[in-house]
Amino acid sequence: MRVILETKQRKKPFLPIEAETIIPRNFLKGPALTVFEGNKERLLSDLFWIFVEGTAVSPDKVEVILKGDTARIKRVGEYMDTGTIRIQGDIGMHCGNFMSGGVIEISGNADAWLGREMLGGSIICYGNAGHYCASGYRGEKHGMKGGRVEVMGDAGDFCAEYLTGGEVHIHGSCGDMAGVEMKGGQLIIEGDATRPCGNMKDGTCMIFGTVHHMLPTFEKIDTKKLPDRDGTVVVYKGDVANRGKGILMIKKPLVGETIS
Amino acid sequence: MIIKDVVCPFCGCLCDDLDVEVDGQTIIKVQNGCTLAEAALTGNNRLPAPIRRTATGWEEISFDDAIRETADILLAADRPLLYGWSSTHGEAQSIGVHIAELLGAVIDNTSTVCHGPSILAIQEVGHPGCTLGQVKNRADVVVYWGCNPTEAHPRHMSRYTTFATGFFVPEAQKDRTVIVVDTRRTESAEIADEFIQIERGRDYEVLAALRAIVRGKGSILPREIAGIAREQLFRVAEICMKAKFGAIFFGLGLTMSSGKYKNVRNAIELTDELNRHTKFTISPLRGHGNVYGSNEVFTWITGYPYAVDFARGIAFYNPGETTAVDILRRGECDAALIVASDPGAHFPHAAAAHLAKIPTILIDPHRTATTPLCRLQMPCTMAGIDAEGTAYRMDGVPIRYKKFLESSYPDDADILKRIHDRIREVQGS
Amino acid sequence: MTELLVKNACVIDPLNKILMEIMDIPVRDGRIVESVSAGADVIDARGCLTLPGGIDSHSHVCGTKVNFGRYMSPEDMRAGRTARRGKMHVTSGYYVPTTYGNSYRYSAMGYTTVLEGAMAPLEARHTHEEFTATPHQDMLANTLFDGNWAIMEAVRAKDIKKAAAIVAWTLSAVKGYSIKLTNPGGTEAWGWGQDLSSIHDMVPNFNVTPAEIITTMIAANELLGLPHSVHLHCNNLGKPGNYRTTLQTFDLVPDTNNGRQTLYATHVQFHAYGGTTWRDISSKADDIARAVNAKPQIVMDMGQIMFGRTMTMTADGPMEFNLYCLHHNKWSNHDVELETGSGIIPVLYSKKSLVNCVMWAIGLELALLTKNPYQCLLETDNPNGAPFVKYPEIIGLLMSKRYRDEECATLNGGTEQRTALSALDREMDWNEIAIMTRAGQAKALGIDAQGKGHFRTGAEADIAIYPIRCRDVDPTTEYRKVIEGFQKTMYTIKRGRVVARDGDVIVEGANSTFWVNPVVPDDLNVASDPEFVKKFEEYYTVRMGNYPVQDVYLPRGKCIRTEAAL
Repeated sequence: MRVILETKQRKKPFLPIEAETIIPRNFLKGPALTVFEGNKERLLSDLFWIFVEGTAVSPDKVEVILKGDTARIKRVGEYMDTGTIRIQGDIGMHCGNFMSGGVIEISGNADAWLGREMLGGSIICYGNAGHYCASGYRGEKHGMKGGRVEVMGDAGDFCAEYLTGGEVHIHGSCGDMAGVEMKGGQLIIEGDATRPCGNMKDGTCMIFGTVHHMLPTFEKIDTKKLPDRDGTVVVYKGDVANRGKGILMIKKPLVGETIS
Repeated sequence: MIIKDVVCPFCGCLCDDLDVEVDGQTIIKVQNGCTLAEAALTGNNRLPAPIRRTATGWEEISFDDAIRETADILLAADRPLLYGWSSTHGEAQSIGVHIAELLGAVIDNTSTVCHGPSILAIQEVGHPGCTLGQVKNRADVVVYWGCNPTEAHPRHMSRYTTFATGFFVPEAQKDRTVIVVDTRRTESAEIADEFIQIERGRDYEVLAALRAIVRGKGSILPREIAGIAREQLFRVAEICMKAKFGAIFFGLGLTMSSGKYKNVRNAIELTDELNRHTKFTISPLRGHGNVYGSNEVFTWITGYPYAVDFARGIAFYNPGETTAVDILRRGECDAALIVASDPGAHFPHAAAAHLAKIPTILIDPHRTATTPLCRLQMPCTMAGIDAEGTAYRMDGVPIRYKKFLESSYPDDADILKRIHDRIREVQGS
Repeated sequence: MTELLVKNACVIDPLNKILMEIMDIPVRDGRIVESVSAGADVIDARGCLTLPGGIDSHSHVCGTKVNFGRYMSPEDMRAGRTARRGKMHVTSGYYVPTTYGNSYRYSAMGYTTVLEGAMAPLEARHTHEEFTATPHQDMLANTLFDGNWAIMEAVRAKDIKKAAAIVAWTLSAVKGYSIKLTNPGGTEAWGWGQDLSSIHDMVPNFNVTPAEIITTMIAANELLGLPHSVHLHCNNLGKPGNYRTTLQTFDLVPDTNNGRQTLYATHVQFHAYGGTTWRDISSKADDIARAVNAKPQIVMDMGQIMFGRTMTMTADGPMEFNLYCLHHNKWSNHDVELETGSGIIPVLYSKKSLVNCVMWAIGLELALLTKNPYQCLLETDNPNGAPFVKYPEIIGLLMSKRYRDEECATLNGGTEQRTALSALDREMDWNEIAIMTRAGQAKALGIDAQGKGHFRTGAEADIAIYPIRCRDVDPTTEYRKVIEGFQKTMYTIKRGRVVARDGDVIVEGANSTFWVNPVVPDDLNVASDPEFVKKFEEYYTVRMGNYPVQDVYLPRGKCIRTEAAL
């Protein structure tokens, strides 16, 4: 079954839409769902043109496609456990929150908190991700616990904060403090990062671009050749300030540059 | 007539030992206060009556009309924002939260541009603190990190720290060691026993280094961290570990520089580590007189200290998403009520500019930088001068503002109550 | 004039020795009366269990450290959230609910009176503000004196009258109800990062011992004729082997009051540990209970822990720091100048942990081994042991050996060796439960005289009607029904007004705060003692004139005056 949701023009296009009901499973019962626009509850059909093609007997066969002005639609895919969501464009905050299965594909940019507290499944973002990509929630001790988030572009600050399990792969660069409070899982950054892995307790982080302002509390333990990569990486253990036993592998550490 | 023990409402110090001399309805003299107190209490620039914007300027309107129009504007909105709260008393703040709940609005206070990051850090690692009297009576080491109390909290050092005599610190400054950490040599740095000049935006690394030293892992540190010689950090760590009672105070230098709440978190974790050796506390230097009060009131009603979103009928909290600056910058809100604060002066331009595009109402005794952004302004009493009510000092101690002048202005709590009741009436609940 | 008639109520009123009698309860203007007119509103209790409104004699729900617990825990706030509905405001929080959250959940369980476990006098205003925002329970405040400098000076000078004078001034200034001591002397030591390890250790710089503080304060309490006794959180909370400290403390307590206990020892489970380390910790509930059985002057409450996450928050600063060192969770601390301390840290009580299983067993053992239910009350030191919404499960455990056995089978295997619980056959009955959840509290707190905890004519009409037909339910086997029944009343009536129905609160509240004004002769008024005033102004950071809590904070305050025997 394929459900295509195309945004209608809105009187107040800057109002955020909260659309946690947009998960593949819900469309088995039909498209009569509600979403919120600001503090008003709206029918899905008030805000979207809805086209349904085919049928499905199980939710894993449901594919939802979002197109149009989708950059302010929040919580799409929240608690999703199966099926596919394809967003043809940008997507708002909290896409794929608590996801435990299925696939989300974003052709444009993702706003903050992509894949927050994820448990399983996979998200791929072809554009850039905002701040707090693959992170946790305020006050919780654990963040993403499983699954896979892949961003082809850049990610903002605090990427993979509190990473506890699963894999996060950023092909571009990260902002400030990627991997901060990490305690498990794997974070791979192909591009640059600034002050990565502060307070790291466990888990593995690999950075292949330039590291700005490498934190002084990581202890160099080795250099290594990784099987599928050119050159060597320097292996650090840390964060020593936090009794950390995490592994941070860096291709080119660069200490001491001033941030503007 | 001299009124004694007046509570100054201006900054988070909430000094309650001011003597104010009044003659009728005029304040003649303020004793014991700092220059900021004098300015706050003796200023006289109050808006006489509610005003509404017209095509060509402003017209005066009645409170009845202003209140009715405010309620109508807020009811018609799909994402109203209620912002400010930090300069008024708890009774008004409480009603503000109830209005937000009725409307399904977002309510936020000035923590959002000030110590919000401190709150975020506390939510990750807790807050090992104390009341100011503990510092006054016990602290032999005082650290000021990223703040300049001499200018922003002028009596902090004389009432609570460096120059204050305490039960166990009878010689005050002679018995104390003061450490100041800042990016430039401020006036506060001039009285420090140890000044650490830190490169802008590098506080996180320095705090991490100090933690490692206190943990006994200093040997892995490079010779220089953020422009500071390793030796100085070793020396400062030693001072702290040998203290009988250390107190760290911090300000926007930590909360608003790169890393923000992670800087504060690292400072708290350093304090935790020091507590394994001796007694150490850490406290934010809150700016507005009653911003902590708005955190307390918001929390016991909603569960969250700022940035609370009621749009979905529950209380939802996510700084970065539900914070006023972010909501304004994104152009999300379609009406705003500003109470007891001045976002026109303090917000980034893009955020403040949005206020001018939507119907914005201001409840404030004075014409401020926010006035030009509004459609409607209502003057009210000034908490601590012609209105009494509860305020929370920067360390959480609740003190009652005194009312020592009578005025014809309504208390903002009363204005808000009337707005609340009007909304309830229209909603039919 | 409003009249209400509760018909066909199956009443248990222990203080009036009424046991499962089907009767009518006439109410006029918020009080129990002899009879009402034919025009009265009628509620048909349909033969269901009807008790006086529940009374919680030790719960942390309002004030500085509770609010600390809330705002440092956004993850708990979202876990326990409810939407605005009818008359009910939005609530947040599972183990540290917001004030409305607390109030509605207590109301759903039939509770109408709560004693806030700890209020620092300097921050009393905050507690009173939150009292007003907990609108469906009448509130009382335990007022902290454990690290009070002026008190410790009076203790050192062996001046009981002086101590009484300070208590009198403070209680009436901050509108507190009773004397609370938390780790007496230890909270002052914590001002320097230290603690005390015995009741005969000297408090650094003050040269008094906890034993001296406790005995002086007990004497002062009785001198002032306060309605409640000294309320004590013993030294050495949570430390293996601390049962000795508890027994030594109990030995200090004279029997000087005919109407009630002379000491209320709170959350005694945390103070009943044998062994020397976490590895060999064991239950000493039997020793403790034996002591209490022999001493009518002591009342204790269980301090039961229940498995799951919760938040610890007490004035016992050093204890909370020790928990931080053990578990490395987020830790807050808040020492209050010249008065006391506090600490807050989340915990997880797990069935996998032998220590936690022993703790769980101890609380139940204390209740089952104490002969007189008036001497061991049902509490969890909310939220330290467990959130109060777990009280019904504790009732189920006390009433059913089968339930206890089923639970014991799921515990860490080493528990049985360290505890006596599995050998205890006692099953509490309805009357004993009623005592442990209201009558006992009313008596211990001294509020039976205020019309709380019973249905005597003239009493406040606080009535809880539970969907339980006592004669049709066998609590020893049908414990699930018991638990469900106590979780949600059919009706909770407060001062003659229905405030909750089937778990929903249906009106705005208008609670009262009870406080005590102990009157002393003029020459003992510390406000006119120049030495006291001088030290106050010199060492506190607020002015003495700004310290007292103004009347406006208690819109419906109920002041109890006492006359000192001086």
